[in-house]
Amino acid sequence: MTTIKEIKNQLSNKKISVQELYDNYYNKAKNSELNSFNCLLDPEANKQNMINSQSRYNDGKDLPLDGMPLGIKDLFCTKGTPTTASSKILEKFIPEYESQVTQNLLNDGSIFLGKNNCDEFAMGSSNETSFFGPVINPWKNKNNINDKLVPGGSSGGSASAVAEKICVASIGTDTGGSIRQPASLCGVVGLKPTFGSCSRWGVVAFASSLDQAGPITNSVEDAAYLLNSISYHDLKDSTSSNHKRDNFLEGIGKNFDRSITIGIPSDYLKDVSSEIVEQIESTKKHLKKLNINFVDVEFTTTDFALSTYYILAPAEASSNLARYDGIRYGYRGKGDSLEEIYVNSRSEGFGEEVIRRILIGTYVLSAGYYDAYYRKAQRVRRLIKNDFQRVLKDVDFILTPTTPNEAFKIGEKLDPISMYMNDIFTVPTSLAGLPAISLPSGLSKNNLPLGIQLIGNYFQEQSLLQMASLLEKEFCFNG
Amino acid sequence: MTDINIKKVSYLAKLALNDDKAALYKKSLSEIIEWVDNLKKIDTEGVKPLHNITEKNQHIRNDEVLKDNSTEEVLSNAPEKALNFFRVPKVVE
Repeated sequence: MTTIKEIKNQLSNKKISVQELYDNYYNKAKNSELNSFNCLLDPEANKQNMINSQSRYNDGKDLPLDGMPLGIKDLFCTKGTPTTASSKILEKFIPEYESQVTQNLLNDGSIFLGKNNCDEFAMGSSNETSFFGPVINPWKNKNNINDKLVPGGSSGGSASAVAEKICVASIGTDTGGSIRQPASLCGVVGLKPTFGSCSRWGVVAFASSLDQAGPITNSVEDAAYLLNSISYHDLKDSTSSNHKRDNFLEGIGKNFDRSITIGIPSDYLKDVSSEIVEQIESTKKHLKKLNINFVDVEFTTTDFALSTYYILAPAEASSNLARYDGIRYGYRGKGDSLEEIYVNSRSEGFGEEVIRRILIGTYVLSAGYYDAYYRKAQRVRRLIKNDFQRVLKDVDFILTPTTPNEAFKIGEKLDPISMYMNDIFTVPTSLAGLPAISLPSGLSKNNLPLGIQLIGNYFQEQSLLQMASLLEKEFCFNG
Repeated sequence: MTDINIKKVSYLAKLALNDDKAALYKKSLSEIIEWVDNLKKIDTEGVKPLHNITEKNQHIRNDEVLKDNSTEEVLSNAPEKALNFFRVPKVVE
C-alpha cells in the first residue's frame, strides 16, 4: 500500500522525484481501460506546479499535499480545464474560475491528473448515467469473471481510479451517498464530511442543502490529509460553516483515552442478506478487542428517509438546473425564439435520468402539490435529524452497512426505484447532515468488496477518522 | 395510480417530450410518487420545515462588491455572442 505519508517520505528522501511520481500515475491513467477519467490534464500544463513542488521538497519546505497526483470529480470547476458534470449540456464548458475545494488542494501543493467520470450531474448510483459512458469497477466477480461491474455512483470514476491506483486519491461529492456507496463497491475509503465543512463554491450544484465534497482514498489517514486541505470556511458559500477546524490527522492510529460506545440500528439490518449482516458482526468482533461497547439503537424514521430524499433532492435539482438554458454557457439547441432555444437546449442536452429528476422536482414543487410533497418532506427531514440527535446522545458512533449489496453488473438494474434503493443506508445521514465514512470491511463470496459505514456527530470528523483508523488496522483489508 | 399531467410538468420544466417519452416518464413518475407517498403516514403536526442543516453556524459576508472577473471571462463560454453581449433571437417585435 502506498499512502500519502509514505509517498511524501520517498519524495523527501529523494527516492523519487515529483516528475517521476506524476509520470508513473499519468501513464497508468492514460492506459487504463475503465473509463474513470473524462479527461487527463496535459502534462505540460502541470509542469510549473511540479517544478515548484520539487523545489519545496529540495528545500525541506514541502506543503501537506505537495506533488500528490489527484483525480478530481468532473463536478468541480477547474480553471482552464473542461468541467462537464458528465453531461452533454456542459460538454464544452471551460470554467474561468477555480472551485474553492480544488483551490485549497492546489494551495497545499497537489497536482491534478484529470477529471473523474461520474453520473450525469451526480444523479445516479452506478455511474451509468454519464454522457461519456459507464465506468468499470476494477474488481471482478470470481464466479463470473467476464462480467463488467459498476463502480457505484455518482463518484464512480473517483472510486474506480483510486481502487485501480491510477491516482493517489480523488475528491468526490456526496448528496445521498455518492462518495460512500462507490467507495464501498470499489473497496476503498470514502468520507462525507458534515454538511457545511467544505465549500460548495464552484461545485456544479445538484441539491444545495445536501451536496458536500469529500475524499475517496486508499486509507483513512489519506482521507485525513485531504480533509485537512478542503475543510474550510468560505464566505462565498452561505452554507459554509464557521466552526473551528481540527487537525484531522491528530487521532489517526491512536487508541481512545475514554470509553467508546457504538450503536447498531437493528432496523437497518432486517431486510439485508446474511453476508451484509456478517460485516457488522465481524466489525463487532474486531472492535471488542479494543474494549468498545456495542448497544442496539432504534430509529423511528428510517422508512421515510428515501421518500424524503427523493422529494427534496429532485426539487432542489429542478431549481438548480433551471440555469441551463443555452444562453450564457453550455449546449445551445437550435431555435428561432428564446422559448425554442430553452426547450431544445435542455431536451437535447440533458440525459434520461436528469430529465426524470427535473420532472419529479418540478411536479413536487408545482402549485397544488408543494405542501403535500415538498413542505411535508422538509418537516420529515427535521424529524429524521431529531431522530439521529436522540440516538447520538447515548452513543459516540453509529455503525451500519454502507450498501445493501455488492457491485452489480453494468446494465443489470433498469428500474429507477431499485437503483434508488442502493442508497438506503447512506441517505438518512445525508438528510441529517452528519459526517459518515465508508470503510472496506471484507469480501463477499463472489470475492467483491463490502463496506461498513461509521456515522459520527456534527463536525466530529477527527474522532470519526480516529475510530475508522483503528478499525482499518483490525480489518487489514488489502485492495 | 397517481394521475400525473406529464405535458404540464414538462412544459413547466421547459422540456419537450415526444409521445413515447411522455408515456415513459408519466409511468415512471407515477411509480415514484406512489413510492414516496408513504410520507402521508408520518405525523408532522407542528414540526417546522428544515431548510438547512447549518442554520446555526451560518455567517453572512459583508455586502461588498468584489471584482474578480472580466466581461471577456464571463462571455468566454457563451454559445453565441456579439460585442459585449450574449446573443439571442429578437425578443421584442
